[in-house]
Amino acid sequence: MCGIAGIVRADAAEPVAEPALRRMAAALRHRGPDGWGMARAAGAGLVSTRLAIFDVPGGWQPMRGPRGTLLVYNGEVYNHPELRAELGGAFATTSDTEVVHRLLERDGLDALARLNGQFAFAWWEPHARRLTLVRDRFGVRPLHWAGLPGGGIAFASEAKALFASGEASAAPDLAGIDEVFTTWGARAPRTAFAGVAQLPPGGLLVWEDGAIAAQRTWWAPGYDPADGAPTPDDLSALLADAVRLRLRADVPVGTYLSGGLDSSLIAALAQRASDHELRTFSVAFHDARYDERAFQQQVAQALGTRHHVVEVGPREIADGFRAVVAHAETPLIRTAPIPLYLLAQATRAHGITVVATGEGADELFWGYDLFKETALRELHARDPARAETLLDALYPYLDVPAERRGPAWKRFFFEAGASDDPLFSHQPRIAATGIVRAFYRPEVQRVLDGMNGEDPLARLRAELPPAFARWSALERAAYLELTTLLAPNLLSSQGDRVAMAHGVEGRFPFLDHRVFMHSVALPPERKLGPRLREKAELRALAQRLLPRAVVERPKQPYRAPAVVPFFGDHAPGWVAERLEARALEQVGIFDPQRVEGLLRRCRAGKATGFREGMALVGILSTQVWHERFCARAGAAGPDWPAERSEPRVRLDATDGIASQ
Amino acid sequence: MGDTEVGTGVRAELRAYIEEAFLYLHPDVQLRDDDQFLELGVIDSLGFVELVEEVQTRYGVAVDALEITEANFGSLDALVAFVERRRPS
Repeated sequence: MCGIAGIVRADAAEPVAEPALRRMAAALRHRGPDGWGMARAAGAGLVSTRLAIFDVPGGWQPMRGPRGTLLVYNGEVYNHPELRAELGGAFATTSDTEVVHRLLERDGLDALARLNGQFAFAWWEPHARRLTLVRDRFGVRPLHWAGLPGGGIAFASEAKALFASGEASAAPDLAGIDEVFTTWGARAPRTAFAGVAQLPPGGLLVWEDGAIAAQRTWWAPGYDPADGAPTPDDLSALLADAVRLRLRADVPVGTYLSGGLDSSLIAALAQRASDHELRTFSVAFHDARYDERAFQQQVAQALGTRHHVVEVGPREIADGFRAVVAHAETPLIRTAPIPLYLLAQATRAHGITVVATGEGADELFWGYDLFKETALRELHARDPARAETLLDALYPYLDVPAERRGPAWKRFFFEAGASDDPLFSHQPRIAATGIVRAFYRPEVQRVLDGMNGEDPLARLRAELPPAFARWSALERAAYLELTTLLAPNLLSSQGDRVAMAHGVEGRFPFLDHRVFMHSVALPPERKLGPRLREKAELRALAQRLLPRAVVERPKQPYRAPAVVPFFGDHAPGWVAERLEARALEQVGIFDPQRVEGLLRRCRAGKATGFREGMALVGILSTQVWHERFCARAGAAGPDWPAERSEPRVRLDATDGIASQ
Repeated sequence: MGDTEVGTGVRAELRAYIEEAFLYLHPDVQLRDDDQFLELGVIDSLGFVELVEEVQTRYGVAVDALEITEANFGSLDALVAFVERRRPS
């Protein structure tokens, strides 16, 4: 796992300066603490920072292939030994990077369908002056880019490296921010920054000699029969294989354990496949409402893992908040990423740099309450009495306590959106999140209103695939979860960014594309079962591997406290500073008078609902994000620190002759 | 306690609650007793849920789903009338 970045000029005679590349490398060193490398060619420069996982002594990047092309690559292709055997011939390293590179040089972009893994890379073909940027199927690994004046392009794993290069500057994109406060994350190609785009999951971009020649997806999730692949074996064999592949590493691998079904299942399969004592890592909360430690310990004991727990309370959340925003590079809607940032820190401190987790299971096997709620809201049209009874048994993800879910709540819930609305499943979430937008300054709202077609929901509707209309309500919900929440939020702010902040790589067996295809082919009742029992298929498998109490327990959404960490005696001073009227005026997005009303309620302990929690986190994170990036917009790239150490690789082909 | 006093007390309490919980997001609005919350945009659909739950909790009033209408909850006047009608004596 690594960080990658680079600059390519339209004019081959215009050099890419080494100091700019050194600054890009420095901005991404957290992703690659083991070393860095650099390549310069005519009108092009590439850098890599490396977290060594395969072929620790070799495997440095950028790599130059036998045909003279250059590759910087972030991620893992787990089936690299099989691909290597098929390619044949001599290899200089045992890394997956070299296998991917050889495959690209042989097959071009046809190679992509063969790759099983999570990756983002940039491939430079100097003779054609062609740069190809690629991102994995589900968007596990990030990749940003910016068009440069004169027709060039800069790219980087994280946007901060683009700013460090001096080629792009940080300014808010109101439409991108508005998307965060609508569907919980800016959806590619949009980001929270103006002029900075991200590749969509399963996307690729080809830049050739000064212009973008192609921009398309090479893979997208779908729910038509052709998108599924029933496996001859049951899920057990397939998932065991997905886990086995993800234990491949030349360093020890651990797992995260939330106490829920998915991560417990991954830990159980990892323990079976591993030849060493498995290490498991968990977040525990001081506040019992969020805490799942009893279940975590039960699983760890049953599996015999060496278990580590990170205790998180309000102070830890406040203390980690600014660093998480800086890594996530976006305003946030929840504090949930902070405990995972602290968990990655502890994981690293225990010498583990690779962790497998249960991410993706809820999207593939319809585990979230959103799926149950969608089913109930559909049922309500036919059988309102039964739907209302079933709703009482749910624990809605919207975090409304039972005593507040009276008839008015039911009414809101069942009337939120027409069943023929493509966004039907997500309307309650969209309505709830809308509170953050109510804090905008009136002039910000006017600007957003004037952006024709930039409205987040209009864009989402316009970009739905034609097949969407053929899918069931639950399949549509799953597609929307994958495309609006998983990649833009869970895999990013709550996944890659907070783990890579400490040089820890997350691996997600459920996001093996074969597991996805298996899930698509399953009959719907094997996902959301009768009486709204979620993840029937996984539960059946778990019964053979896990303690009964863990398999039978009701699902608990992962959440963290939102308001308490930022008020009271323990609250850090920067919170009040960032939220004072002058600071809000400087950033210019939120209305100070409205925000003051919210703060009064927070200080008085009255802001206890999930909506005001979202509003506070949204406003505070925007203020922190702006200060960290945009307030420095006037500062040129040279103000960013540069990598001072010597690169482990230096390829210099600016005169046409590469040297190493 | 006479009807007028009850009305004044409930009205003042509910006004204070609505101002404190919702109107901070609408600093330009001077809410009149007969202003319609939804029409004026000061309370959205989920805010309406909070309002109904608050009335139930604060005044011990059991609200049936069919009673959740603008006629009962749509304005300060409507709310006061509903609470007066339904509050346990």
